[in-house]
Amino acid sequence: MRRIATAERPDWRAKAAACGFGFHTIDDAPYWDESAYYAFTLREIEQDIEAPTEELHAMALDMIERIMGSEQQLRQLAIPEPYWDWIAESWRKRDPHLYGRLDFAYDGTGPARLYELNYDTPTSLFEAAFFQWQWLEDQLARGVLPAGSDQFNSIYESLVEAFGTIARGIARPFHFAAVRDSVEDQGTVAYLRDCALQAGIDCGALAIEDIGISADGRFTDLDDNVIGCLFKLYPLEDLFRESFGAYLPRAGLQLIEPPWKALLSNKGILPLLWEAHRGHPNLLAAEFDGGGALPRGWVRKPLHSREGANIAMHLDDGRELRTGGPYDGPCVRQACHPLPGFDGQHPLVGSWVVGDRACGIGIREDRSLVTQDSARFVPHAIVEEARGVLMA
Amino acid sequence: MKRSRTAALLLMSTAPLLLTACDRSESASREGLYTSVAACVAQTNDSATCQQAFAKAQQDATATAPRFANREACEASYGKEQCAERSDGGNHSFFGPLMTGFFLSQMMRNGMAASGFNSAPAFRDSNGGWQRPAAGAGGVYSGGAGTAMVPVNATPNRAVTVSRSGFGTSGSSRGIGG
Repeated sequence: MRRIATAERPDWRAKAAACGFGFHTIDDAPYWDESAYYAFTLREIEQDIEAPTEELHAMALDMIERIMGSEQQLRQLAIPEPYWDWIAESWRKRDPHLYGRLDFAYDGTGPARLYELNYDTPTSLFEAAFFQWQWLEDQLARGVLPAGSDQFNSIYESLVEAFGTIARGIARPFHFAAVRDSVEDQGTVAYLRDCALQAGIDCGALAIEDIGISADGRFTDLDDNVIGCLFKLYPLEDLFRESFGAYLPRAGLQLIEPPWKALLSNKGILPLLWEAHRGHPNLLAAEFDGGGALPRGWVRKPLHSREGANIAMHLDDGRELRTGGPYDGPCVRQACHPLPGFDGQHPLVGSWVVGDRACGIGIREDRSLVTQDSARFVPHAIVEEARGVLMA
Repeated sequence: MKRSRTAALLLMSTAPLLLTACDRSESASREGLYTSVAACVAQTNDSATCQQAFAKAQQDATATAPRFANREACEASYGKEQCAERSDGGNHSFFGPLMTGFFLSQMMRNGMAASGFNSAPAFRDSNGGWQRPAAGAGGVYSGGAGTAMVPVNATPNRAVTVSRSGFGTSGSSRGIGG
C-alpha cells in the first residue's frame, strides 16, 4: 500500500458536473481529491481486505440470532423495547438488506483492523462506485496509471445485481428517502435509485421530512399513496425515537436497510463480536464503557455516532483527542489502534459489502486521527509493484 | 479484473436521455382520493376547490354509479346499507351505491396547484376495494345501465395523510451518512 501523488484530470470538475456529483467540494473545502491515489497490490486487496470483509460480515450476521435471544444484549445495544418483536420478525422473515461498509485501519503490513460496521446508512457510495471507477478508466486512458492497473470496485455491478435479486421481495410503491437539505445524502440516494431503476425497479424519491402518517397509522408519500417499501438513508435509531417511530412496528412498512440492521449498525456490536471471537486478527479488543476515566490505549465511542463525532481517544503516549458532536448516551471502548500516516494523511479504508459480497473499497483520508466529515475521498488502484525478476 | 466492466448512469447523467417524465419536481398532476371535504382541505389547503370537487362528484354519482334493479343486488356488491334508490329523472328508478369518496386531481406547477380541477365519485365495494367510473364516463355511453366501474388499483395503498414531518427532526442540521 502506497500513497502516490499524481496529476489530476484537467476536466474532472466538468465530469463531476455531468454526472450530478455536486458535493465534490463541500463548504469550499475539497471532498473529492485526486491529487493522489492509494496503490495496493492484488494480494493486499484479496487477502487483507476482501477476504476479512466477507468473514467479518458473516460473523456479524451470525450474531443476530443470539442477540435477539438475549434481553441483556438488546439492552446493552440500547434497542428500545417496543421495537424488539418487530426487529425479530424482520430477521425471521429475512427482510432483504442491501449494503454496508466496514471501516478498517490498514497500512499494507499487519491485518486490517475493524473500526466499525456502517450497516445502516453508509455514504461515500457514489464516489466509490462510480466516480472513482471513472477516474481509473480515464487515468488508464491518459497513461497516467500503469497499463493493467485495476481497482477493487465492482460496487456498481453488485448493486444492480442485488436490486435485481431482491426486486420481487420489495413492496411497492418503493421510495428512496433522505434528509431534504443534505446534498451528500441526496446524492447517495439518487445513485442508489439510479441503480434500482437500472435493475428494472420502478421507484420514487421523497424527503424523509415529507413522509406522512394516515389516521390508521400507515406511512404515506406526498400523493397519499401508502408507501410499500422505504429505502431510508436515515438512522434506524433516529426513526425509533422520533414522533412517527411508534407507528413503525404496525404500519406494514418494509424498510431497507431492514430493522434487524439496528443490531449491527451499533457500536455495541464491537464488544459482542470481540466476546464471541476474542483475539480475531481483524478485531480490536472492545468492551462496553462503564463510565469513568478513559485509560491510555483506549478509544471511547457512543453506540450511535456518525462521521467521527463524539469520539474520545487516549493514545498510548498519553495524548488525548476528542471530537465534538451531537451524540450522547451509552458508549463502548475499543483498543486504540491509530490510523497509519501517509504523507501526513490518515487513510480509513471503507470496504463495501453489497448483499453479502465484498465488492470494493473507498478511501477517505483526514489530517486528524479521527476520520470526520472533513475527510477527503481519495481514489485507489491495484498496481503490481515492479520488483525486478522474482521468478527463477 | 476486480472492477465493474461498465458503470452506467440513468438518472444522474445529464446526457439527453433523461427520465424526467418520472420526475415530480416541475409540473405533475396531483390526485387524491378523499373520504371527506375536511380530509381534502387538510391535504390540499384549498377549501373552495375541495367543496366544488365534492359537489361535482356527488352530482355525477347518480349518473355514473352502477345501476341495480333492486336493493338486494346492489347490497350484494356494495354492502349492507350502502345503496340508495335513485331516479334518472324520468320514470325509471333504480338502486345504486352511495358515494363514499371522491377524487380530486389538479395540475401542479412548481409545487402550486394550477387553476381548474377534475373530480370523480368513488365507491367502495363490499370487499373494501375502491372503484371509480371508467375513463370516458359521461361520453357516448352515459345513461343506459350506468357506467362501467374500474377498480382503483392504488386504493388499498391510499390513505389520507393526517400529519407529516414526524421523521427527520434529528437530521435537519447534518447529513447522517457514516
